[in-house]
Amino acid sequence: MTGEEIRPSRLHWWWLVGALVALLGAGLLAILLGAVDLDARSVLLSVLDRVPFVDVDSGLNDRQEAILWELRMPRVALGGIVGAMLAVAGGSYQGSFRNPLADPYLLGAAAGAGLGATIAFVYGGVLPSGPIDTLPLLAFVGGVGGVAVTYAIGYSAKAGRTPVTLILAGVAVAAFLTAVQTYLQQRNAETLREVYGWILGRLSTVGWGEVWLVLPYVVVSTIVILFGARRLDVLSVGDDEAVTLGVDPSRVRLVMVLAATLGTAAVVAVSGLIGFVGIIIPHAVRIVFGSSYRVVLPLSVVFGATFLILADLLARTVAAPAEIPIGVVTAFFGAPFFAIVLRSSRGLGS
Amino acid sequence: MTVALSLNGVSVRFNGSRILDSVDMEIDRGEWLGIIGPNGAGKTTLLRAITGAVGFEGSIAIDGIKTSGMKRRDLARSVALVPQHPVLPPGMRVVDYVLLGRTPHVRAVTGPSLHDLDVVATILDALSLSEFMDRDVTTLSGGELQRVVVARALAQESPILLLDEPTTALDIGKQQDVLELVDRLRRERTLTVVSAMHDLTIAAQFPDRLVMLAGGVVVAEGDGRTVLDPELIRSYYSASVKILDDGAGGIVVVPLRSQEPMSDSKN
Repeated sequence: MTGEEIRPSRLHWWWLVGALVALLGAGLLAILLGAVDLDARSVLLSVLDRVPFVDVDSGLNDRQEAILWELRMPRVALGGIVGAMLAVAGGSYQGSFRNPLADPYLLGAAAGAGLGATIAFVYGGVLPSGPIDTLPLLAFVGGVGGVAVTYAIGYSAKAGRTPVTLILAGVAVAAFLTAVQTYLQQRNAETLREVYGWILGRLSTVGWGEVWLVLPYVVVSTIVILFGARRLDVLSVGDDEAVTLGVDPSRVRLVMVLAATLGTAAVVAVSGLIGFVGIIIPHAVRIVFGSSYRVVLPLSVVFGATFLILADLLARTVAAPAEIPIGVVTAFFGAPFFAIVLRSSRGLGS
Repeated sequence: MTVALSLNGVSVRFNGSRILDSVDMEIDRGEWLGIIGPNGAGKTTLLRAITGAVGFEGSIAIDGIKTSGMKRRDLARSVALVPQHPVLPPGMRVVDYVLLGRTPHVRAVTGPSLHDLDVVATILDALSLSEFMDRDVTTLSGGELQRVVVARALAQESPILLLDEPTTALDIGKQQDVLELVDRLRRERTLTVVSAMHDLTIAAQFPDRLVMLAGGVVVAEGDGRTVLDPELIRSYYSASVKILDDGAGGIVVVPLRSQEPMSDSKN
């Protein structure tokens, strides 16, 4: 037998193309549907019209143009970016900690961002304003800060720098930050509704500003995570064996968690705490396409984006003109979907 | 003979207690050294110190180069370990698992080259694993799994192979298969083998030389007949044994019951 006859797991191009087609389809659907329906031909012409040196008449009036370019497009783009980031960060956390229940919020990112956001809602009026709004800034700082404190505690633990120590440190940090956040929230009941809405997640108040704000973080984090996929596969045989294969597990974990945390904190800053995406997307990909992180991570990027764009479409159309919090949609529709995938799988541990 | 691996005053401490206490050892290229000793003697810790998985005092050198100054990647190209209890990732196929052995040779960005795949293919053939290539590692039997783990270690193409009690979970036939395989590969590839071993008779049959560890200290060293001494075994294993000739120039270690069995007559 030669090397050409063995077939190690890899990402087949047709999987990726199929996933991208699904993403494009979801994006188009989400752009067309809403309180004002747009027709596909006009949207296409309007896009063409924006290409330099091309001048066509889309047939859309000014109001429709505004809805397309200032409301729908940025919202779909942001949904895709947030979904991609949460899904790939979830996969990165699961690989780093060899724990199927790990999600991007595991090490205190959610609790820290929640506290930051609550501070912004409660003291927003009195804090000095900078070039970036107080809310995303404090949510970002809180999310990154929560994970940093978790790491500091986990690393100083006498028991050693094991993944379990880190996870337990994360539990303690999250509990503490949530306690402070809840206290602040209760003392300032008038902000309860806003804080609660933020915690459930929303993509509603967006223009292109949020997209450009988070895109650099998401691009850099995603690239770092994708390049680490092979290392995560090595980590799946445990820290001790990874060392004998020439890999430093602590360093891999640090890089992967750092990248996942920066990206997660950035998207959480603009979208709130959208749950469930980071768990179900990587697992669904794993069950369908195989467990290698070289497959799971890239496909999670695309399917995470697809999933959240569709979830947001439902969130704003199912009970229109009211909007359902997107976190409710991801769980309400995501959980049964995941249950079906789980049922039809051979099982993760067998 | 050139020295492939040397340990000089190697000590390992966990929470203040000494697991290894200034161990000195030299192993020649192509030699098979067996490490025996009771549970908790420090056999596994010694192997882990050589792979760099555990910190130690003293020095360990490969071909005269201290491992403490080597990069992890270079160390992994020099030493491969077959762990006693390998961690099996659910859903990972045998071919992917064996390919993990190429990690110290593969660039993380570009992935395995055709040469890496060739190495894996050759090893799968040599260990009669080709038909298992696409199986999930968690579905293998004990004997199949042990071959797969050995295959991963061989894929590292490291001149030194460490085996941590490679036959513990296997039936007597599979034990012989695995050890004969190791011996064949050692000769074909001029590997230096260090194995921690549980079964004293097997320890007498396969390695060229034995070292007995007890309480983290080397208490005996030499060929099978020297180290497998009833008095030594009594004092360090608290076991009564008899050493018999196997009729072919080797020896077997037979456990003896130190007292008569209790009578069943009360039932």
